[in-house]
Amino acid sequence: MSESNGPAILIRGAHKRYKPIVGAPQRDAVRGVDISVAPGTIHGLLGPNGAGKTTTIKMLLGLVRPTAGEFRILGEDSTRPEGRRRVGFMPEQPYFPQHLRAAQALRLYAQLAGVPRDEIGPRTTALMERVGLQGREKTTLDAFSRGMLQRLGIAQALINQPEVVVLDEPASGLDPVGQRDVRNLMLELRESGVTVLLSSHQLSEVEAVCDDVTIMNAGLVAAEGDLDALLNVEGRTSIRVRGLEGGLPARVAELASEVAVTGGVSVFSVADETVRAVIDAVDDAGGRVVSVTPVRDSLEDYFARLLATTAEGGEDR
Amino acid sequence: MMSRIWPIALAVVTDSLRRKVVYVVLVFAAVLAMAIPSLPSYGLGIEDAVYREVALALSFVAALVLTLSLSANRVPSEVERRTVYNVLAKGVSRAEYLVGSWLGILIVTGGAIAAFTGVQQLIALARYGDPMWQLWQGALAVWLEMGVLSAFAVAVSSVAGPVVVVTAALAVLFVGHSRSTLLGGEGALALKPFYPSLDAFNIVNPVAHGTGVPPLYLLSMLVVFVGFVAIALAVAVWLFGRRDL
Repeated sequence: MSESNGPAILIRGAHKRYKPIVGAPQRDAVRGVDISVAPGTIHGLLGPNGAGKTTTIKMLLGLVRPTAGEFRILGEDSTRPEGRRRVGFMPEQPYFPQHLRAAQALRLYAQLAGVPRDEIGPRTTALMERVGLQGREKTTLDAFSRGMLQRLGIAQALINQPEVVVLDEPASGLDPVGQRDVRNLMLELRESGVTVLLSSHQLSEVEAVCDDVTIMNAGLVAAEGDLDALLNVEGRTSIRVRGLEGGLPARVAELASEVAVTGGVSVFSVADETVRAVIDAVDDAGGRVVSVTPVRDSLEDYFARLLATTAEGGEDR
Repeated sequence: MMSRIWPIALAVVTDSLRRKVVYVVLVFAAVLAMAIPSLPSYGLGIEDAVYREVALALSFVAALVLTLSLSANRVPSEVERRTVYNVLAKGVSRAEYLVGSWLGILIVTGGAIAAFTGVQQLIALARYGDPMWQLWQGALAVWLEMGVLSAFAVAVSSVAGPVVVVTAALAVLFVGHSRSTLLGGEGALALKPFYPSLDAFNIVNPVAHGTGVPPLYLLSMLVVFVGFVAIALAVAVWLFGRRDL
């Protein structure tokens, strides 16, 4: 859906320095962050509290003034209002004017986003249904639970049919069904060509939906890239086989490591380049290959290990 | 631009109409207006003039309470509750947001002043058989002055909390009506053209004495209003534009 051929979101050299008026020293919340998000992908932004994720997103959306850096969405300077017209944003724990009814709130945001008058009603109805709030159009927002406000936050982010959506902790406060709905919604958005930048603490959510990730720590990019490539850190493949009652064939045994045998199933890992030879050897020995999967770190383990190596402090804003 | 300012203004109006302070001020002002004819000075044979003067003062005080209560916390609470994020992320500029907020406050204040004046007219009609149309000139002056004050309050509130806003707005009101006191000496005469005086909106005497002011004066009052509001909102936009949210 993007008109430009470049990245849907481009952040280059993002830097934010907070200068207290008196007393306390200057603090760099974000230091030279580069993020590039390809069109039609879901890009995860990860990091512990204080990593600078929220500050980076706020700079991208013109809510915080960058000290330095370039911020572009669909090729336009997103720190300027006109550069944000094709963007949907759901802040962490979205708040709304409490006196409004749900449909009134969506109408307000639709008007602000320049949605044609005759399209506001149908879009409101469709979005309320899409986020699971059908029948709540006339409920005032002070009667909404946190999860319902979260769902409405997603609806307002989509009211202008954006080409780029920035979601800050979209599943926060949702029950497991709600979290699944949000995950499916993000996948649907990607299917329809929408680019999603997802900031989240929920690693399982990121692992389930993201194509690429940027991991931040202490205001810096600690790691970035394709999730599979990041987690397949050891270049090894895990193989499960059945029918090798006599143990692993000698050719396999000398290549395999981390061997475990339970209930007639042998599980072991081998270097990626030896997979073909190992499978042939298992076949020759009369065994049956059950699965061949790349050895992946869990995102949790990878995340924890990465953060341990970048131990400088910082505070998220 | 107006397509974004206007929805913000309407949201402010809707929000304001749900606040109890609007109705409390309205009812209180109406009750006091009904009590004006019982004032002791009514034995002097100048009942009409006293009524108009007190009615205008009442409108002024009620509008002031309303203006300060609506404008002091509008921007700070939206920033604190982060409702402003959803607005600005939709491609609304900070200038449009501030102007929309101010416009909403101006509309509510205008509606309230119109309601006060309507009630005062009804009382005047019932008590003196005279609708006292001059009261509307006074109401316009009060409204415009409150518009200036709310623009100033919005400017201060873009970087400060409600207590500072109210204090600053009252200080501006005091300074704005103290030119002759503060610059009374001969040595200060040269400063008078630069003094931010709000005296242009003080038409109590002509209204109270029934003469009113000529249309040209009303027009010049409007020019002063536009000038002050433009300056205050420009400062507001500059301050708010530099703020991290």
